[in-house]
Amino acid sequence: MEPLLKVQGLSVNFSGLKALSDVTFDSFAGEVRAVIGPNGAGKTTLFNAISGYVPSTAGQIFFKGEPLHGLAPHDISVKGVRRTFQTGGLFPEMSALENVLAGLHVQIESGFFGIVLGLAEAREAEREGILRAKRLLDLMDLGAAAEQPVKDLSGGQQRMVEIVRTLATEPPLLLLDEPVVGLSPPMRDRMMDIIRRLAGEEGIGIMLIEHVIDLVMSGSDTIVVLSSGELIAEGTPEEVRQNREVLEAYLGHA
Amino acid sequence: MEKKNGNTSLITSNQLRWFYYLVPVAALIIPFVANEYLLWIVNAILVYTLVTVGFNIIIGNLGQLAFANTAFFGIGAYTSAILMVYGGVPYTLSILMSAIVGGLAGFLASVTALRGIRLYYLAIITLAFGELMRWVYLHGDDVTKGSDGLRIPDDIFFLGIPLDSEVPKFFVFLLLAVLLVKATSNLMRSRIGRAIVAIRENEATTASLGIHTARYIVLAFVWSGSVVGVAGAMFAVLTERVLPEAFGLTEVIIHFGMVLVGGTGSIVGSVIGAITLTTLPEYFRQFPGMDELFFGIIIVLVLLFLPKGIVSLLWRISPAFKERYYRD
Repeated sequence: MEPLLKVQGLSVNFSGLKALSDVTFDSFAGEVRAVIGPNGAGKTTLFNAISGYVPSTAGQIFFKGEPLHGLAPHDISVKGVRRTFQTGGLFPEMSALENVLAGLHVQIESGFFGIVLGLAEAREAEREGILRAKRLLDLMDLGAAAEQPVKDLSGGQQRMVEIVRTLATEPPLLLLDEPVVGLSPPMRDRMMDIIRRLAGEEGIGIMLIEHVIDLVMSGSDTIVVLSSGELIAEGTPEEVRQNREVLEAYLGHA
Repeated sequence: MEKKNGNTSLITSNQLRWFYYLVPVAALIIPFVANEYLLWIVNAILVYTLVTVGFNIIIGNLGQLAFANTAFFGIGAYTSAILMVYGGVPYTLSILMSAIVGGLAGFLASVTALRGIRLYYLAIITLAFGELMRWVYLHGDDVTKGSDGLRIPDDIFFLGIPLDSEVPKFFVFLLLAVLLVKATSNLMRSRIGRAIVAIRENEATTASLGIHTARYIVLAFVWSGSVVGVAGAMFAVLTERVLPEAFGLTEVIIHFGMVLVGGTGSIVGSVIGAITLTTLPEYFRQFPGMDELFFGIIIVLVLLFLPKGIVSLLWRISPAFKERYYRD
């Protein structure tokens, strides 16, 4: 199978500090791929490099065969690689509905003049976007919270809104930075369920950073282990569990 | 609509829409009941409504501390006056040119923000830009007539209507204000308006949604510059003489005061701010020497007790008054 994402020899330096060195792996459609490793291993840096938030020092990133390295974050997002953030990813003063609508920005095809003059075509495009956003929020049981500013929602609801916003455009590849952090155990299980369904039923490629090792072991197809910026292991949960280097670098401390 | 906030809302957003449409219609009665002086104040309110609506896009919606608004205002006023005085350009066309030149000034101001100059740095650069423009008006004697000011011609027409008293000016200003406020409202309640507010809330995340943030920062500044540029062209006709000191640092404070007193990021708030800080200072003029004190006190009191502006009083009546970034 052709990989969705190819990361080849990726290195990122921050003023001499090696945040990532020579990382290589492929990621596939319909796969849940977890990225694990101790704090400072370079997990978020890997996401930042793929999504264009930090420049790579060396190496290449291909999405569906097209190079991503060197592109701006908004261009990478438009190509279909979308991400969430560890914290503060939402627009707190905007309502849940407006947050999701912002996620649909590229899909709502209303032009400047149509909007300013209030032309029927532009209004129709906006209306379709609103309907779609409301439907997505309903699907995640967030319909009742749609009109509330997201800063007034619970931590779990906020996470859901962010996922809905990121998913709104049905991106082929989704990078989730600690999607279940701060959630209660039942909410966590629900979120992992949703993530598995998105991969299994929708065929979305998902990469996620996660610290809760049980969730990683039960919820992912493949695990990539980073330590001090290097990829030290890659494989199924079973394979990674038995890898000596991983035990020493990571699981030993857990 | 908003049932879960506990307090049952008296007004639905649908009723509110009709209320908004009714306000300018009801205003049509003003020329028949007000004398020339009162009508002059109303006309000034219409000018400052556009000044504040335009400024608020940058301060409230985009969330940038750019104070080039007064410069846009002056550029609009001088553009229109210069075209009419030296070019014999009809007023209607000069308004359009003020919008274009104001938009260009907005584009210039956006370049600083795009280059990563933000917060205090952006504030001081844009203030300096305003003072620089004032220097140009003062020293561009041959064209601007320096501190004497540039007197606009006596026979000004808007689409054939002679603007020889406050009454015709009122109808023309009302038309321009309604058109531009409605257009701005359309813009702010669309994907464009959401992108602008999203940038205020979190610029990095906004880009992750595929939104070209630089494009919307430029758009916000250009639109703001155009709206305020038109206000400048109206101001030229309102005061009949364009003076450099009408665009100084005190004016920056007044404009900023209107945005804050009315309510940041709110079009309704902008209108309230323009009304409040045009009428009250005018009223206080009967206490010479104290008027500036009163002006300061109003701003302090409002911000102390209503930090979100006077518009927040309306939110207590109905949450429907809160700014929304979509139209249903």
